[in-house]
Amino acid sequence: MISVTIKKGYDLNIEGKPSSDSEDLPKPEYVAVLPEKIPFIIPRLSAEKGDKVKIGSVLFEDKRHPEVKFLSPGGGEITDMEFGPRRIVKAIVIRLDETESFETFDSISESGLEKIGREELLQILLGRGVWQFIRELPFRDIARHDKIPPAIFVTSDDGEPFQPDPAVYLKGKKELFEFGIRILSKLAKTVHVVGAVRRPATTEELDGLITHTCKGPYPAGDAGVMIYHTKTASSENRSWYICAQDVLTIAQSLKSGVYSVERVMVLAGSASIERKHIRTRAGVPLEHLVRGRVKTGDVRYVVGGIFRGYTAPKESYMGFYETSLTLLPESREPQPFGFLSPGFTKPTYFRTFLSALSRSDLAMDCNLHGDVRACINCGSCAQVCPVDILPQFAFKCVLADEVEEFLEQGLLDCAECGLCTYLCPSKIEVCKILRDAKAKYYKEQG
Amino acid sequence: MKIIKNMFDSRRKHFVKGGKLERLYPIFEATETFFFFPAHGTQTGPHVRDNLDLKRFMSFVILALMPPFLFGIYNTGYQCHLASALSTDFISVFLRGIYIVLPLVIVSYGVGFFWEFVFAVVRKHPISEGFLVTGLLFPLTLPPTLPLWQAAVGISFGVVIGKEIFGGTGRNILNPALTGRAFIFFAYPVRMSGEVWTVISGKAVDTFSGATPLALAGLTAASDTVETFLAKSGLTFSKLFLGNYPGTVAGTSSLLCLIGAVILITVGIASCRIIIGGVLGMLVTGFALNLLATQASMPYLSLNPFYHLVMGGFAFGITYMATDPVSAPGMDTAKWIYGFAIGALTVLVRVFNPAYPEGVMLAILFMNIFAPLLDHFEIRLRLKRRIVNVG
Repeated sequence: MISVTIKKGYDLNIEGKPSSDSEDLPKPEYVAVLPEKIPFIIPRLSAEKGDKVKIGSVLFEDKRHPEVKFLSPGGGEITDMEFGPRRIVKAIVIRLDETESFETFDSISESGLEKIGREELLQILLGRGVWQFIRELPFRDIARHDKIPPAIFVTSDDGEPFQPDPAVYLKGKKELFEFGIRILSKLAKTVHVVGAVRRPATTEELDGLITHTCKGPYPAGDAGVMIYHTKTASSENRSWYICAQDVLTIAQSLKSGVYSVERVMVLAGSASIERKHIRTRAGVPLEHLVRGRVKTGDVRYVVGGIFRGYTAPKESYMGFYETSLTLLPESREPQPFGFLSPGFTKPTYFRTFLSALSRSDLAMDCNLHGDVRACINCGSCAQVCPVDILPQFAFKCVLADEVEEFLEQGLLDCAECGLCTYLCPSKIEVCKILRDAKAKYYKEQG
Repeated sequence: MKIIKNMFDSRRKHFVKGGKLERLYPIFEATETFFFFPAHGTQTGPHVRDNLDLKRFMSFVILALMPPFLFGIYNTGYQCHLASALSTDFISVFLRGIYIVLPLVIVSYGVGFFWEFVFAVVRKHPISEGFLVTGLLFPLTLPPTLPLWQAAVGISFGVVIGKEIFGGTGRNILNPALTGRAFIFFAYPVRMSGEVWTVISGKAVDTFSGATPLALAGLTAASDTVETFLAKSGLTFSKLFLGNYPGTVAGTSSLLCLIGAVILITVGIASCRIIIGGVLGMLVTGFALNLLATQASMPYLSLNPFYHLVMGGFAFGITYMATDPVSAPGMDTAKWIYGFAIGALTVLVRVFNPAYPEGVMLAILFMNIFAPLLDHFEIRLRLKRRIVNVG
């Protein structure tokens, strides 16, 4: 077992952690797929409003790679197709039937897997709508199946606040997970299973399967961070990664022969009343997860994590990859002479507030806590960057459009963790600038 | 508070887009955010943000400036009363100090903010909090006797040429406060040469001449040592350390600058690398010059290096000026070199060029120019260790 220790990074002392209890939710009335929230894809619809679909029917494919199919997470009628500006497909909403029907595929047994070749396995994964769980670094797009990657990283927890505890969704599923790992082993030279030191229960659950352990603050355990700290040559940059829960989904789909829609999600954040794990299905409405367990007042719904997630209206649905819903209070009223307060309850990375004396959890809201100013080169971002980028210099290279220079600065190693933006005292969207530059470079490369 | 808030809310419509005072929005914004922490929400992830902002950041520098500032007010009044043979009780001395120093501070802030406002309105950017520090640093490095119009010219030069023509806060190469000081140092050398500290304090006394330690040190005869020569003028080591002798407003007391440095390092605003590097650079160079000293050489060469630390404005410069993050290098090793070079250059300028008694100002400005180069080399070395990733 290789252990990696990451010194840079930062753990938020934020209030609102979920308990490890889990709750089974009844069936929702609607489910949806949100093509808009799947990075980089260009959807080409193969169903339309009013169509009857089964669980596992093809809803759309990726125009760039038509073999990548996106399947329906529910059986029923497509009641709505929401389009955004420039006909971008925002949501495909399905009203579930009382008893849903399934598309059935051949089930693959443990022994059956041995007889399948790599090419055939690829076709199976693509056809069953589970291929897209595997993503490729450094751009985090869906993996290109025509390449053999140097490695696949199976990640479980990177310390981002309020993600599902791997021990909850892996409990009692070691065999299934092992099956999933065997599937992945057929695709790549090696499969690395990353366990986080901060989650000892996962290590117990996956006894013997973990190949790497990662110690350190957020985002230790992220695939991009792991690869940065373990790689020995440039050829490893294009490794693939997948989340441990999605390994279970792949394994379940192949083993049972039906498209698996079970998910374990988390409802957390200081604006939610009951914070816990929830066993439900893919694409559920946010309201269905929350079920009124929300404090009154202006609340922000964050899907997918405080650092990397996105804000969604409460009428929205969970995305394809996201398994976490965090409810945060919106920013409060302006504070008189806010910059003079001693700040016992103001969480900070720095030592300019008295809250720095303790690491107890504090409530955080969505306030920017300041105004955008010019960069004063304080260098705080470089102190926390887990992949040793110098964000204060790199983002200026990006703004000056110096492509060669920002590549040299290591832009593509960026784990998109958002810590630089989190603590910038000038409130510059450093991470967004770097992330957008990465995406632009990727699109230009084709 | 509610009244003030309503006042801002009712006047906002004039300043936002389409309002008749739209162009003056930066001024409105700066005033409003002084009273109220803005309630802007985050637009993209991360959805929560750290509480530290630039206003708080700069407030801490101001806070750390308070010990030397208050002492500077006291000392100015004290020296003035001493020279005029007036009572030296605390209250009257302090009031005299305020009477002399406050106009300098007001002129510095007033004129400086005028330029900040002009540039903010013309260039349509918000007013940066950085000037809160510059505007206070500048008068503290001046002799208290400087005519106010010269202070106004100095801060104008510092803000406009030192900062705004480069694009404003964060883009300047030189420290604006020091740029302004350097300007009056060269433009009006009589007032700034450091040889004569002249008090024109209203009717109390017309002029008073008293040499600053740095000027005295340069005048030491070859047969004497600097230490004894200074001691003859009443400037012992402890007096130099405590700072109750004539000099710039706040630059005299090394002790209080040390307290300021401790505050800044404790809260993590100033880089301890620069400060410690500067002290080391000064001591190492001082000792090296001691080794060069012979009977026939200048007495300055054999000065105990610790005297360099407490003489003149070094302590003030290295604590508050050299640590300005914008004009200092951003990389860790570069900061050590930068600090060290400032200390070393200060000694060299002082010893070998007595025409410029205050070496620290020139040393910092000189190293400001080299800061990007130091960063460049360290970044080059650092990038060599990275495994190339071009996708």
